[in-house]
Amino acid sequence: MSEVDVNPDTARVSVDTGGPTIMPEENRDTHRTTARSITSNVMLLVIGFLFLAPMVWLVFSSLDAQATWSVEWPHFTLSNFSQVLTGSDFQALVNSIVLAVLSTLIATVAGMLAAYALSRRRIPFKGPLLLFVLFTSGVPLTILIVPLYQLFATYGLLTIVPTAVFLAVTSLPFEIYLIKNFIDAVPEDLEEAARMEQASTFQVLTKVVGPLALPGIAAAAIFGFVNAWGSFVVPLVLISPATQQPAPVAIYGFIGAANVRYGDIAAYSLVFCVPVFILYALSSRLFREGFVLGGAVKG
Amino acid sequence: MVSTTPLDTINGPHVSELWKSRNDRERFQWGSLALLTPAFALLVVLFLIPVGYAVYLGFTNLTLVGPTAVHWGFTGAQNLTRLRTDTTFIASLRLTAFFVVGSIIGVVVVGYGLASLLQRAQTWIRVIVGGVVVIAWMMPAITAGMTWYASTTAGGTFATLTGLNQSDFLSSQPLLIVTIANIWSQTGFAMLVIGAALRNIPSEILEAATVENASPWQRFRLVTLPILRPTVTAVVLLVALLSLANFSLIYVMTQGGPGNATNILPLYSYQQAFQFNNLAYGALIGNVMVLLAAFFGVLYVRVATRRS
Repeated sequence: MSEVDVNPDTARVSVDTGGPTIMPEENRDTHRTTARSITSNVMLLVIGFLFLAPMVWLVFSSLDAQATWSVEWPHFTLSNFSQVLTGSDFQALVNSIVLAVLSTLIATVAGMLAAYALSRRRIPFKGPLLLFVLFTSGVPLTILIVPLYQLFATYGLLTIVPTAVFLAVTSLPFEIYLIKNFIDAVPEDLEEAARMEQASTFQVLTKVVGPLALPGIAAAAIFGFVNAWGSFVVPLVLISPATQQPAPVAIYGFIGAANVRYGDIAAYSLVFCVPVFILYALSSRLFREGFVLGGAVKG
Repeated sequence: MVSTTPLDTINGPHVSELWKSRNDRERFQWGSLALLTPAFALLVVLFLIPVGYAVYLGFTNLTLVGPTAVHWGFTGAQNLTRLRTDTTFIASLRLTAFFVVGSIIGVVVVGYGLASLLQRAQTWIRVIVGGVVVIAWMMPAITAGMTWYASTTAGGTFATLTGLNQSDFLSSQPLLIVTIANIWSQTGFAMLVIGAALRNIPSEILEAATVENASPWQRFRLVTLPILRPTVTAVVLLVALLSLANFSLIYVMTQGGPGNATNILPLYSYQQAFQFNNLAYGALIGNVMVLLAAFFGVLYVRVATRRS
């Protein structure tokens, strides 16, 4: 919030107004009239309520033994949760974990190696390569579904592992950029010192650059995980065996079921959200800017 | 990295040669190739090739089932002709435009409004309201769709709130509802990014404008807006791309229906490919989406690099 301002233009202004250490927050507050502050607080509460309203059903119905589509004070029960944490619904959650973990590992390891090379090494056509990476991150993924279905079907790959590899590729461009930014910030002297001691590239990566760029690598991994975890249409099309389908497909199946189990839908959706919320909270601690960008590209 | 050592004076030509090679020290190492290979092999095989393949498939007669599922081939502009006269496609373009433009406007306006209101809000309100909006953004698309389906269907939360208990907003205003749901799920991001940019505006500038008797509107238009422009431009591009490619949210809520009321391009592409079994035609519709995405990309680069 109160960053040191080093911009010469604005610094001059602050000297004119008598001192460079104006706390913006305080200063603004003293200038606001009470009426205006009340108006903005009330407006915020109204907007906040409108944002909250759709979520209420999710929480209430997950705890309601007689849930419907409407919001009612729940007839309290936890059986919805225990219900969805067994059988095929639970299997779908396990599949989601397998899919997301595998995809995260592939994307983060490949992304880190490429990011290191792009950050440190002299590479011919580095500019066009980086542009290519940028281009891939802008392509709407939905268009890849048909060609990939055809490719996977031709080679008998309509299963969970090839799908995880593809999901890794979808988060790879952004992961490369994210990790590269962090490696760029690691002082090169440290690496040179390690090289003097005859460290191999592998050792430099795991003992020097890796630990120092860890916040970036962790944030990239979290992005990759969330991306794979939330993906719906990719597994829907690219995974053929029903037993390998992840949780989002299971959630979708709930609605189409012959008798809709409202409470289960809500409970399962909440359980499905929990890892995402935890990981976002974790990554916001790791670093703020990347956290903000990381969510920008969710599928 | 020029080091002037006594060696320079002792044997000149040899050292200058040495200096040349040192200047060029960051030479290409073959090891770099090994580092780049996993990522770029993956990107080429599972990204670049499929994109190229999609372009080709768009001009074939490949289907999901039937004889042309096995024996298919290039059919030239046949699919293009069909596309031009496909009223569902034309309608889908219009729906996509509404959905994308509506989402952009909604996300930027609500995101900016929240960001600026939050700056002068009381702490507890900031934490709660900011938290709720961010949670809405973090929610996976499938869950967001679920939540909005439940809230806007007959007897849902919004029907109760408006007192029109049996009205089914999702059926009566499907496009509007899915657009609002999309705005709901993307505003948090805009709020965070625009909020960060707003906090970086030195308060001295705004104060100087106030001293010069600038009205609030002038302060916004002449001070805040120019500083925010790069941030807002980036938000617009991201919202445009995410909305253009949005599948999960709408598919869960309406599957493109009722009728074709919410059948935006990604859904229509999927529908043609996997429900009507026209894989090739679905791929062609996907290609149209890539062109639209490229259009947004070019527009972004032009706006971002323009100097005012």
